[in-house]
Amino acid sequence: MVEHLFIISIILYLVGALFALCLFKWQMVGNYISFVFAAIASCFGIATAVTVLFSGSTIRLDFQLFLPTIIKYNFLLDSLSSYFILAISVISFVASIYSIGYTRLYVNKRDVRFLGFTYNLFLMAMLLVVSANNAFVFMIVWELMTLVSFFLVIFEHENPTTRKAGLVYIVMAHIGSGLLAIAFFILLAYGGSFSFDSFRDAAAQIPAVYKNIVFFLIIFGFGIKAGIFPLHLWLPMAHPAAPSNISMIMSGVMIKTAIYGFIRFYFEFLTPCPPWWGVIILIIGATSAILGILYALMERDIKTLLAYSSVENIGIILIGIGLSMIFKSYNQMALSSLAMIAGLYHLFNHAVFKCLLFGCAGNIYYSTHTKNIEELGGLIKRMQVTAPLFLIGALSISAIPPLNGFISEWFIFQSLLNGFNIPSVIIKIITIICGAVVALTGALVATCFVKAFGISFLAMPRSKHAEKAKEVPVVMLVSMGILAALCVFMGLFPAKIMMTINHVNTQILGTNIVKALTSYDWLQMKIVRTNFTELSPKSATVFGLILLGITFGALTLIRPKFIRKFYETWTCGIAPESRLEYTATAFTKPFKVVFSNLYRPRLEVSTTYSVPNFFVKSIAYVGEITPIFERYLYNPVSNFVLKISDKARLIHAGNIHLYLAYIFITLLILIMFFR
Amino acid sequence: MSLTSNIVLPILQLIVIVGLAPLVKGFINKIEARFQCRRGPSIFQPYYNLIKLLRKDAVVSETASWIFRATPYVAFVSILIIALLVPVLSSCVPLNFTGDVILIIYLFALGRFFLALSSLDTASAFGGMGGSREMMISSMAEPAMMLSVFTVSLAAGSTNLGNITSAFLDSSTLLLNPSLFLAFAALCIVIIAETGRIPIDNPHTHLELTMIHEGMVLEFSGRYLALIEWASSMKLLILLTILVNTFLPWGAASGLTFSGLIISFALYVVKIGFFAFLIVILESSFAKLRLFRIPNLLGTAFILSVLAIISLYVVG
Repeated sequence: MVEHLFIISIILYLVGALFALCLFKWQMVGNYISFVFAAIASCFGIATAVTVLFSGSTIRLDFQLFLPTIIKYNFLLDSLSSYFILAISVISFVASIYSIGYTRLYVNKRDVRFLGFTYNLFLMAMLLVVSANNAFVFMIVWELMTLVSFFLVIFEHENPTTRKAGLVYIVMAHIGSGLLAIAFFILLAYGGSFSFDSFRDAAAQIPAVYKNIVFFLIIFGFGIKAGIFPLHLWLPMAHPAAPSNISMIMSGVMIKTAIYGFIRFYFEFLTPCPPWWGVIILIIGATSAILGILYALMERDIKTLLAYSSVENIGIILIGIGLSMIFKSYNQMALSSLAMIAGLYHLFNHAVFKCLLFGCAGNIYYSTHTKNIEELGGLIKRMQVTAPLFLIGALSISAIPPLNGFISEWFIFQSLLNGFNIPSVIIKIITIICGAVVALTGALVATCFVKAFGISFLAMPRSKHAEKAKEVPVVMLVSMGILAALCVFMGLFPAKIMMTINHVNTQILGTNIVKALTSYDWLQMKIVRTNFTELSPKSATVFGLILLGITFGALTLIRPKFIRKFYETWTCGIAPESRLEYTATAFTKPFKVVFSNLYRPRLEVSTTYSVPNFFVKSIAYVGEITPIFERYLYNPVSNFVLKISDKARLIHAGNIHLYLAYIFITLLILIMFFR
Repeated sequence: MSLTSNIVLPILQLIVIVGLAPLVKGFINKIEARFQCRRGPSIFQPYYNLIKLLRKDAVVSETASWIFRATPYVAFVSILIIALLVPVLSSCVPLNFTGDVILIIYLFALGRFFLALSSLDTASAFGGMGGSREMMISSMAEPAMMLSVFTVSLAAGSTNLGNITSAFLDSSTLLLNPSLFLAFAALCIVIIAETGRIPIDNPHTHLELTMIHEGMVLEFSGRYLALIEWASSMKLLILLTILVNTFLPWGAASGLTFSGLIISFALYVVKIGFFAFLIVILESSFAKLRLFRIPNLLGTAFILSVLAIISLYVVG
């Protein structure tokens, strides 16, 4: 029964894709139909995931369409893949509804048929990636996902920066795919077939050296897709370049397929892992978290800011996964499950609130046609629904209780604190330093999103665009409302999500700790519990509301006829105008000074005078930060490659006889060696 | 634990924190004035100020939105929730299932988030400047705070403040752990930073360019200002309470007995008074640091807390 749900979902995506392509005359209608099909298909996806997760069954699907018959069991739906299918489908559902409104931006401007077509294929490819049970199939759908998302990234291709982003994305993604292919070939040599099942069986036979090689290949291969530092380069370019409904999916769930890859490999194919693997993942996670948010802090383009923040959140997720690996290698399965819950909880949370934030950024772009927050301001009065939605997203991502981001952050801290159970002192200290990094990251995230929300929504509009902003179509707001509600729900009722993750833990770690993690307090409310403490976000909220009521009541009693008078802000005698407001650059200036070693800020002030040295005509101010990873890591590599290819060009003389000679010589050499 | 104590103790916690917070502020101001050879305002002046402000109407900026009007309530209520979770007179905190010290740290962050937003909301440059600096200082303080809290939690085996206090009450030898001294020092610096006292921030300044916390709340008036002032004095008291009841828990009652509570209240007042006095000495003997020197001081706190946790692991 479940396999039918899954197949129906895939077929619906395909049909939706075809509809978008086939309705020539009515582009918009075709587009709507394709998005509606995608939404229905993702409902089926959710149904599949929920059924598999709660029945605990494993379903194998065997298509024998084009592939040779030696490849069996092409797809597998187990708890792990179902958890990811659930995340993907929830986000796809919301994004599909959102797209119905958002694509109006492109009506009569460009061919939207292509958008609907690639969009459906993209969603389908992601579902297949997390359910593939065969290296061959996996590589095909992984490539499909990369290619289709490349076309989505360059959708607005008349813009040169978009084309550059697309190029960087596809080149880096293919380097990643190449590394993955090598990893698969090494596993093939020991497993005997491309099937993931044989990889699972072969785990014990692989020599340690090859295991370590595969480990690093996987870090780089999946790490590029996940956007870990310093492999993140494509991410802050491609995510802002894509249309907002696509960025929602790319940032929300596409980069999570790489996390899926990490878990599949490290918890199933390469077991048992030595502890230092986990430590490396932990350190990579902490580095990505802190550097990601430090770069996000300096951003003025709201979508680039969100993209850097995705790098940060991937880091947090990897901290959870890395800890889980460390605990597992010391055979502390309960703690390993706790860390896994932290990681996977944050994964779902990030999917939800990042999708919400990208959607709201899309709303801003839809109504102001700018992504630069320095040109925004005062949107809270012009976009009265988008503003609270963005605020909920910003609070969630800043881990402010009682929203969902706080719960996963809390779990991360609890697992880091449990690092004292690790026998090795060095690893203990590393875990605790990571705790400090997560704390600093959390505070910086809050600053970053105070800036993002405060500068773009509050005070007075800083440009004509922002002044003329209007609220976006209802359908976009409704879809964002679903996500905001999810943020609140997942924050108030953590036990529900933990139950779901527990099914994954049962499969990959063989533990069931949800009983140990929940209990009831003396008010008979369900609480979350670890060996250190308890947490009940629901009762904190209830107490907060009661106290708010009491405060409000008391204040009204003291002064029943409280009046607010409205006057303009005192700005030292000048009429308030938007140029007097604090800017985003100024807001994060203290951080630029404190972290100047990282940012290496460059400043250029040029003054022109109307009367030399006395009357200033204009002052031009240019301030930017040095992209050190681009300059000192990527540029040398790309320059080297260019130089080599320049040399290689010499043998391409353009003469057909010469090429024939090359072929002949190659043949001769081959014959000499393989007689 | 009986139902009465479950109901009485949280209410008592709230009353002590809400009621005593302005007094601590008045006490600090009074002693500080004496140090400067002034007579100073009455120790009850903060109460008079609050009553005056609560009776007034408010002036709100035209550019401000509902965020500005919601902020005082958010800031006030988030502190009230924290007051429910902190052991004040008794090590028994009936509502401690609600959350631990990590929740408390993030509830502080909730209030700060909204204050920083409202500082941008009025379109005045002073507000934004204050908000930006406040976020910078609190971000720098966060790692040191978290690590020193971790040290204490690992030594006591819990992140729940009530449990920490009772663990240290049960075996005071735990408190002789050298790493706790380091954590204590780190936490002191963090508390100075979090509450905006000299040498980080000057709570009495109204010179625009040096204001941090005061700059952020510049545009509030009337009832709104009262809530924010009250919340910030409660924040000071709560942080001192955490310090006192974690590192010097002696005398705190462990249940609900009348005599026990009286003794513990008397000791509590003495201990808080002592730390308030230390703050006065500190504020009177130092000048305010330059803004970009503050990260160095907080870096010191961070190093102290790292040493604390390493010594906890190495020494055991």
